[in-house]
Amino acid sequence: MSSSEPATPEGGTVLAERPLETPVELVTWVTIVWDDPVNLMSYVTHVFMTYFGYSKSKATKLMLQVHNEGKAVVSSGTREAMETDVNAMHAYGLWASLEKAE
Amino acid sequence: MSRFKRGGSQVLITLADYEEAVLESLVEQLIDLLEGDEVRSAPDDPFARWEAEMAAPGGLDASDPVIARLFPPAYRDDPKAEQEFRRFTETAQRRTKIEQAKLVLDALLETNGGREPVVVRATDLEAWLKTITAIRLAQAVRLGIETADDVQALEELDEDEPRAVLYGMYEWLGYFLESLIDKAH
Repeated sequence: MSSSEPATPEGGTVLAERPLETPVELVTWVTIVWDDPVNLMSYVTHVFMTYFGYSKSKATKLMLQVHNEGKAVVSSGTREAMETDVNAMHAYGLWASLEKAE
Repeated sequence: MSRFKRGGSQVLITLADYEEAVLESLVEQLIDLLEGDEVRSAPDDPFARWEAEMAAPGGLDASDPVIARLFPPAYRDDPKAEQEFRRFTETAQRRTKIEQAKLVLDALLETNGGREPVVVRATDLEAWLKTITAIRLAQAVRLGIETADDVQALEELDEDEPRAVLYGMYEWLGYFLESLIDKAH
């Protein structure tokens, strides 16, 4: 497709409305870490600080949320980015999954 | 308590000879588990090998609850997306876990049977933490630890019960991990 030509429809041509569809890249996904009775609190905090670069207080808050509420959203972004994060959490032995943000 | 020492950018761990031997064997077991069929039963005949690979992609025994815990699902409600995710990540995930465990094993072997301290270099710290965690996760599956109550029940076992011995190792590795994180920060 040439970019120099004006994108004006020729006379008589009617452009159909594009169907209402959210572009894939605009859908936000989240990484969720689930509580487990094995991983130590200090370890989970360490992982959040090391991998995500979160401050100690933010990492601790998220760790406590996992511990007390059973899960916490630890990151959000594109589906691809969340797959990378989940894979990294699995490498650390944390129990993580991704899903579309609510 | 002074068995974990910070020395510059590395952590030095003094282990008793039997502790070093146990740790070495646990790491070896982890490597065997992760290498699985890939090494042991790879047939010489290329067609048989291809057939085996087709039957079990990646060679991991997904029905083994320990493997299931070490390679948990990324998509909980979407089997198709999960299958794709595994297809693209499992081999590398597995290879990395093996490499890290081997790095830990090498460091243990350098202690000359526990006569010299284990050296955990700053650059190797994550490999250590991940490997010890993987062993604890495997032990937790074998001990049937699914909830905090299960841990409580294990605490109350008689010392001479076989599971109490495994639980003792699990606890010791927890202490090991905790000390390593503490000294590293």
